[in-house]
Amino acid sequence: MIPTHLIPTPDPLQVPWGWFQILLSTTFLLHLLVMNIMLGWAIIAFCNHAFRDTIADDNQLISKNLPFTIAFTINFGVAPLLFLQVLYGHFMYTSSVLMAVFWLSIVAILLLAYYATYLYNLQFSKMSGLHTLLSGIIALFLLAIAFLFTNNMSLMVSPESWVHYFDHPDGMLLNFEDSTLMPRYLHSVLASVAVGGLALGLYYDWQRRRGDTTAADRIPSAMNWFSYATIANFGFGTWYFGSLPASIRTVTGVTGAFLLCFLLAGITAAILSLIYGLQHRVRHAAGAVLGAIICMVTVRELVRRQTLAPWFSTSDLEVVPQYSPMILFLLLFAGGLYLVWWMIKLVLPAKKEVQS
Amino acid sequence: MNYPAWQLDAFGGGFFIALIAIVHVYVSHFAVGGGLFLVLTEMKGLREGSSEIIAYTRRHTRFFLLLTMVLGATTGVGIWFTIALLNPAATSFLIHLFVFAWAIEWVFFLAEIVSLLFYYYTFDRLEPRKHLILGWIYFGCAWLSLFFINGIIDFMLTPGAWLADNNFWSGFFNPTFWPALFFRTFMALMLAGLFGFLTSVNIKEAGLRHTMVRYCGMWLLPPLILLLGSALWYKIALPLPQQEMIFSRAPEMKPFLTLFIWLSPLIFAGGLTMAILRPQAVRRPLAWLLLLLGFLYLGSFEFIREGGRRPYIIHDYMYSTSIKKADMGQIQKTGVLASARWVKNKTITAENRMDAGKELFTLLCMPCHSAGGPLNDILPLARRFSPAGMRSFLATMGTANPYMPPFAGNEEEQSVLADYLTTRLVPGIVNKVVKINKESIKPAPFDKETGEYLILASSDKGMILSSEPELSGIDFSFAPPTLQAQVILRGEAPSVLTDDIQVSYRIDTDQGPLLGNMIAAEGTFAATLAKIPPIAKDFRPYLLAEIEAVKGGKVIAATRLKIGLSNEIGCRNCHGGPWRQQGRTGLSRQTAADILAIHDKRSSTKLSQDFHSGKIVVCADCHADSSRGAAGQPGPLNLSAAIHGFHAAYLYKENNSCTFCHANSAQGATGNMEDLHSTIGLECANCHGSLTDHAMSLLIEEQQAQKPGSAKLVALLADKGEMAQEKIQGRMPWSMEPDCLTCHVGFQPPDSSTAFNTWSADKKGLFVHRHGEEGALLCTSCHGSQHSLYPADNAYSKEVGNLQPLQYQNNPYPLGADRGCAVCHTVEMEEELHHPGSLGTFRNRVE
Repeated sequence: MIPTHLIPTPDPLQVPWGWFQILLSTTFLLHLLVMNIMLGWAIIAFCNHAFRDTIADDNQLISKNLPFTIAFTINFGVAPLLFLQVLYGHFMYTSSVLMAVFWLSIVAILLLAYYATYLYNLQFSKMSGLHTLLSGIIALFLLAIAFLFTNNMSLMVSPESWVHYFDHPDGMLLNFEDSTLMPRYLHSVLASVAVGGLALGLYYDWQRRRGDTTAADRIPSAMNWFSYATIANFGFGTWYFGSLPASIRTVTGVTGAFLLCFLLAGITAAILSLIYGLQHRVRHAAGAVLGAIICMVTVRELVRRQTLAPWFSTSDLEVVPQYSPMILFLLLFAGGLYLVWWMIKLVLPAKKEVQS
Repeated sequence: MNYPAWQLDAFGGGFFIALIAIVHVYVSHFAVGGGLFLVLTEMKGLREGSSEIIAYTRRHTRFFLLLTMVLGATTGVGIWFTIALLNPAATSFLIHLFVFAWAIEWVFFLAEIVSLLFYYYTFDRLEPRKHLILGWIYFGCAWLSLFFINGIIDFMLTPGAWLADNNFWSGFFNPTFWPALFFRTFMALMLAGLFGFLTSVNIKEAGLRHTMVRYCGMWLLPPLILLLGSALWYKIALPLPQQEMIFSRAPEMKPFLTLFIWLSPLIFAGGLTMAILRPQAVRRPLAWLLLLLGFLYLGSFEFIREGGRRPYIIHDYMYSTSIKKADMGQIQKTGVLASARWVKNKTITAENRMDAGKELFTLLCMPCHSAGGPLNDILPLARRFSPAGMRSFLATMGTANPYMPPFAGNEEEQSVLADYLTTRLVPGIVNKVVKINKESIKPAPFDKETGEYLILASSDKGMILSSEPELSGIDFSFAPPTLQAQVILRGEAPSVLTDDIQVSYRIDTDQGPLLGNMIAAEGTFAATLAKIPPIAKDFRPYLLAEIEAVKGGKVIAATRLKIGLSNEIGCRNCHGGPWRQQGRTGLSRQTAADILAIHDKRSSTKLSQDFHSGKIVVCADCHADSSRGAAGQPGPLNLSAAIHGFHAAYLYKENNSCTFCHANSAQGATGNMEDLHSTIGLECANCHGSLTDHAMSLLIEEQQAQKPGSAKLVALLADKGEMAQEKIQGRMPWSMEPDCLTCHVGFQPPDSSTAFNTWSADKKGLFVHRHGEEGALLCTSCHGSQHSLYPADNAYSKEVGNLQPLQYQNNPYPLGADRGCAVCHTVEMEEELHHPGSLGTFRNRVE
């Protein structure tokens, strides 16, 4: 069976692919940031409960906010998943079917994890004996979801693995054949821990600037999570890069140049963020991390394009133009963001008032 | 065809969609109506200065948030995941067409989350006006989410002008967009009341509790009335094909329609009860019960809406099998296996036949069916069919079964899938060749030299089919036979006698002899049996009648007559169940039960109830049957037209379609069709037309009589027959039948082998009532009964079909054949008195 024969015929686009690529990368960045905080916080909370005694404040903060991070991770996940399906749907639907049992199980796992975070939040003070177990379950569930997502993203760009469907049409395939799978997953998980720690640091930094004198004491611990996870991630990142096929690592031409540039820029930004992290300069570290993530999201996109290059390019997609729906979306998107901003402005003074 | 199919077996048939979607739809409608409920309830609290009502609103908001934001959001993503797994082609299409509608919905989803979280967490922190603004923003965004999703969902049911112009807005604002939007809005408001009951019944203070429960009742009852109005608008807005699919063509819709109709007053009554009755012991369980009824209410509506799309997933564009309507013709030519990307067996060989069958099953059946699961289980359906029956069923998908897509494969794939479904997926019905033990039967004695009289006897039907009503519970047997006999005094000019002669018959059966006298009229003795005699326990397809003529107390002539009789009715080929008798013949009660269940489902009858209560269901009570003198009811088609007209749509492609039902399969218990014409290679269709033409002739007569239902069946058969529909002459069964002289023009050897479409004018013109040109002898007296003409070749006995020729002339040919005039005449005959050619040598010799 030749993989090319298995690749489904894609549906036409309404506007040129570049629009969708911009929307995909932008919304994925939002999703990635919130998702990293969610997963990182879940892991940090569990580690705090399991291995440390004096981090109750961190965990109280996490318990209060973890449900919100899930809510926004889901919401910010919808848009990139939508635009991903527009550009790569014929790959992703296929890989989803091949691992259908696992893929659909995400819904159930997510539901349990989501309710578990509310349980963790609303009953935090009443069930202290179960904190380790509950936070462990939440972390485990979210790690499982992350693993399954990584698997799907791996399987969708591996048409050569699709032939296993004929032996396992029951939706039970995972792409363990892919040597990038584990380093990619671990790299992402560690990045989540780092971003989770940084988010804690940012919160305490904000509290400190608002006059909370105890908040400054909590910044080092938070930034340590960020710094040590980032140090470890250089190792996992190298492993991940080394596991990529030689054709991707040594790619030439414009794409190769872009890939190299963004990779080097990302690494530089990560090193910078680490330096700031070790110095507990939270906002500087955050700025550098944001730069590193933007670069890495771009690298990730270029690697996907390059991996699929033998079979497909988004520029191959047929376009049957119709712009009015997109114009309406962009207007409403802008309006929606303004509305969110307006609501934040409406609410923030109230919080201030209560705290004062 | 473009994507791999997830093999789900028991969880196929849309199980996951049903599971996740109905929960999500329920919660998400609540998320819309409940949003307005929150903000208006808070306003009520503010207006009345009631901190208790505001506290209740806050508690309800927490419940609302935990339900809608967690369960609603997760199951919403779950639906997306699920449809992409179960029908990736349709999902891809909808995502690409409506990507910006989905994206807009996402924007409102984001604003919903932000506003709801702020709304909940700023109770008592924001001044009321600002807090209410958050509530209004939430409701507005939630309703706009519904607005955009509604356009996409209803596009699938009624794509409308999009089919022609492919314009996004034509598809979005499709024909049912507005009624559906109103319907769902009222449903959402109603559900706000239902969920409100759930929290308000738990208010501790009795006075406030009663106030709030009544307040929730106001959310339930007026929207319910408006919802019913919008449902009517929705129905009217549906194009005719979708309306027909929901309300008449798909019998599976009936339970959901019934449920929806009955639940409306039940929920209304429940809401009133909640508002009036105060005891907590009633209110609390009733609140939960109403919530469950609401779930069923919305669930039944969603099933109806989805059912209306059948057999499409996107109406008139893409079938539920993911095949685009435009591609169907090409795929049917090329074949499914050759067209699909994700199959292993691109071609069919003897070795991979079952593997290929399984792949066809996965591609074509699993999108809608489960195998052993709770939804649309295919196993009991497959168990009903023989391979040939299934093949016929598959051929009628999209026509006689309009709620299923046309079978997408070629004829070989149809056969392979039928074999897989009925022999591999289930241990189905495989008809085996029946072993027949032959018997020798002696004709009655006759002395050619001294015999003064002879008696010639026949039955008015060569082969009677009996459904054995007492045993099967269903009666659609032929009429009981009429025995006919003529007594002839031999001589130079033989005469047919009736005066001073008594003719009697005796039929030995396992239940004792049947005795009777035959009544003389116009040269013929006749007796119609009161009912069909019982079939022999050791099955053979006939009974023997001993017929005697007595004059002056002395037996002057006697003969033996074969009465063709069989209970081998092939309903089980498609209706399942075992043979009732000896594993080889007879209609079983299981088969009869399935026939009646399908009749009930398709025709809204309650025959199964009668059947299971022990009554015998007599088809002729409703469907006129002139052979039995049954007038039936005015509406239904006559029995022959109904049975043939309905089943022809399923069997029209089969070469040997008659043998599916009638007892003339060479492999069956009855054996072959014994008639002379069968022996020389003619088939039923030579006289009766192909099944389609045969059915059409019966239906056309009914259509001319303006019988309801006839036009629908005629339409199903249009263009499927061998003869153009407009050329077919309608006919009444049992009185307008093929005429021998259509082929045997002037009694001569035939130039044609097609007697179809020229009918006898009435019963008098039937072969069984006709006489030779001399006007005395019945045709059947010399030639035997129709379908059993001499020389007959009965599978069970060489002699039984030709007892009288053997008795009187020691050969199996018609009486007097080969110039055997001496059977009756004592002199050599020169004139062809009986009919031209009667003095010739019989052409069709047997060994």
